[in-house]
Amino acid sequence: MKILAVIFLALGFFLTAVAAIGILRFPDFYTRMHASGKADTLGVALTLVGLALYEGFSLTSFKILFISAFIMFANPIGTHILVRAAHQSGLKPLTKRRESK
Amino acid sequence: MTIDNIFFALLVGLVVLIIMMLFRVFKGPTVFDRLNGLGVIGTDAIIILVIIGFLSGREEMFLDIAISYSILGFIASVVIAKYLGGKGESKE
Repeated sequence: MKILAVIFLALGFFLTAVAAIGILRFPDFYTRMHASGKADTLGVALTLVGLALYEGFSLTSFKILFISAFIMFANPIGTHILVRAAHQSGLKPLTKRRESK
Repeated sequence: MTIDNIFFALLVGLVVLIIMMLFRVFKGPTVFDRLNGLGVIGTDAIIILVIIGFLSGREEMFLDIAISYSILGFIASVVIAKYLGGKGESKE
């Protein structure tokens, strides 16, 4: 069980680091939201599942799984509503056609 | 290598990720980039809170703090995004 928990922690931290590097390195706002919406959500959820596996079966692990489930639906909603606000305020996405014009 | 060393290494790595996100928050070209960086900092801080709870041996108190922090961060993100989007729409 401990080995499985450490594997989940390493996988979650890897995905969170990938999300952070993507947010630093991607060229456009919408691509940066792509990194933040998918990789960061799964990374945080996997890390919390790993911590719950380390704890065992108790109220503490149930609370950790509740935080994980809440993040699994709250983080994509926040990302989507932020992209929607940016699109409504007139921020144009980076396309190849606009670049060549 | 005990589990406490792994937790401590994870804590240091998450602090490094938060410093990278701070670079995006201070530099970001638009205000939405800054909001995105702040949201990622919030989700990383939830993991940091839970790990500090495991390291200090008082998981219950830190878990309640983490639950309220995640809900408050989500509500703040939604409210600020709605405010900025409405302002841009009326200007257009």
